[in-house]
Amino acid sequence: MGKVTLKVFLLIVMTDINESIAQLFLKKGLVNTGVTSVTFQNMAEFFLKVFSSPLVWLGILVFLVNLLLWLTVLSRVDLSVASPVGSTSYIFVPILAVCFLHETINPLRWAGIVLIIAGIHFVSRSTHTKEDGGT
Amino acid sequence: MIKLKIVMLILLAEFWGVAGQIFYKKSVNSIETPNLRDIKSYVKFLKSVLAAPATWIGFSFITVGFLVWFLVLAQADLSLAFPIDSMQYVLTLVAAHIFLGEKVNRLKLTGTILVMGGILLVAIS
Repeated sequence: MGKVTLKVFLLIVMTDINESIAQLFLKKGLVNTGVTSVTFQNMAEFFLKVFSSPLVWLGILVFLVNLLLWLTVLSRVDLSVASPVGSTSYIFVPILAVCFLHETINPLRWAGIVLIIAGIHFVSRSTHTKEDGGT
Repeated sequence: MIKLKIVMLILLAEFWGVAGQIFYKKSVNSIETPNLRDIKSYVKFLKSVLAAPATWIGFSFITVGFLVWFLVLAQADLSLAFPIDSMQYVLTLVAAHIFLGEKVNRLKLTGTILVMGGILLVAIS
């Protein structure tokens, strides 16, 4: 399978951004249903409310577009490579929140972000070695 | 008890999600890798991938996973949802090795565990 080149990496970041946008729409749609606890009794009502929300459908649309993008990524690299590298939203979302929403990040979260960056780096590097990782 | 119910729901959502990804990858593996500089080659790839049954099996599995994940997100207490969800990376690695024959080397394993640990820290912070 292929290596994680800059192009592939940017493609994966794009799927992460789309995923975050879709999640945002879904979350807003879900919150708007006003349901905070789902039981077997209200499950039908819950799904009815969920699927009558335009925001939920917008989220689903973004997900579908993202599916094509993700399948393109999978045509270039192993699933076990694309999956962890696709965790960049855990890096970008907090950093964007600092820059634009003036939120603060506590040291534990910074440590987590550093670990994720290191992990993505290692997994990407694993496709560049001659031993069993890449071809 | 409520927490146990959420944990089971998250694991269920992850199971369907990982299974769906395996089918996506199986589908793409059966199709010629597109040349992304050539629009014709890319359109051919998209057509083939959308015509492959494995894509839609994967899509159904992921949809089931989403529906279960909806149930998780609707719970008031989400403190467990994201930490447990980080397990999907290791599950994917194991499943990709077993079902797709993807190679696992030391770098990949270390990196995957670091990503999982990092998400765990972000989630509990």
